[in-house]
Amino acid sequence: MVIYTYGVIDSKDTIDETIFGLEGVGVHNVSYRDIGVAVSELRQKLQEITDADVLKHEEVIETLMTKFTVLPIRLSTIFNTKENLLSMAELYYEDFKDNLARLHNKAEFGIKVIWSADTIKQRIIDAYQKTKHNVSISSESPAKTFVKEKFEKHIIDKEFQEEANRCIAVVDDYFNKIACEKKLKRLQTENLLLNASYLVDKQRQNEFRQAFEQLKNTPGDLKFLFSGPWPCYNFVTLTRKPASVDYFNTEDMLNRLLAQQGLAQERNSV
Amino acid sequence: MTMNRTIETDSQEAFIEEIEKVQDVLPKRIDANPKNVEKGLAKLVLTLVELIRKLLEKQAMRRIEGGSLSEEEIEQMGETLLKLENKMQELKEIFGLKDEELNLNLGPLGDLM
Repeated sequence: MVIYTYGVIDSKDTIDETIFGLEGVGVHNVSYRDIGVAVSELRQKLQEITDADVLKHEEVIETLMTKFTVLPIRLSTIFNTKENLLSMAELYYEDFKDNLARLHNKAEFGIKVIWSADTIKQRIIDAYQKTKHNVSISSESPAKTFVKEKFEKHIIDKEFQEEANRCIAVVDDYFNKIACEKKLKRLQTENLLLNASYLVDKQRQNEFRQAFEQLKNTPGDLKFLFSGPWPCYNFVTLTRKPASVDYFNTEDMLNRLLAQQGLAQERNSV
Repeated sequence: MTMNRTIETDSQEAFIEEIEKVQDVLPKRIDANPKNVEKGLAKLVLTLVELIRKLLEKQAMRRIEGGSLSEEEIEQMGETLLKLENKMQELKEIFGLKDEELNLNLGPLGDLM
């Protein structure tokens, strides 16, 4: 028997609602002081995480969120005994309390932006060819030719990065004032200009949504993806870092869910 | 779904492609099982060497941009950088490593390069 964990909740009480978790096993609360950890007791450790497991894990967290503030725990986090789980709760209790207070009544929204890196680079190269840089390097030897090529690449890359920063600042400006917190990942791939997560007070969800409507109607070549509300996968912060497994490193959850479920559904519905 | 979620885009194929790229970029850890421990270690060492090489190169480009290098210094630096790059290429071929493999995921800090 192993204890599979879904999330930390701001209640020590029994979960009234019947929730079925992984392998169809019921979810219950293991309490520690005034908080708890929502878990299912599975017969054995999962051999591999299937798409269905990812969706079930997410579904349990979302169901819990209708009644509690939830700190999502990383997929496939298990404890061998209740004592181990309670030790973890004891160790992180203060962090959990801080996070539960900070994330109370909040939800996460994702904004992704794609630009055409090739087009942007070509534009930069064209501009570079016209103006050239004020540094001139002769091509009289292989070493200088090498440096010259590297230098041109350096200037183009630098301009590319600056252009990315300018575009990201414009996009972020639409959401910055509405969100409580944000995490911006820039250029995870050359085309994925921005992969942003915003923490938004539930009262301001509509405002956030309207900001996206305004953004997507602005002229330009950028492509946008809006998603949310989501559980706060990107905003649980621990002051004490775990020695081995980072139970709350759930940053990859949104991409997994979008790739497996959200966008696939979107694709099927078109 | 219990949260009344919206997922909205007019370019779903493009986003799926980019998300898949992000997910597939690199393994989270150096793969150092007994069968390929040599390659695993080479990957780790070459990643660090590549990081230092790139830092050197960047610093050199900044100095050129700042106009603080003479023609002779540019020549010397070019020779050094060229040799370093060729040597790295040679080592990558020996260990069967591609450019995109020379990176490390640093968890919340992102990728090394």
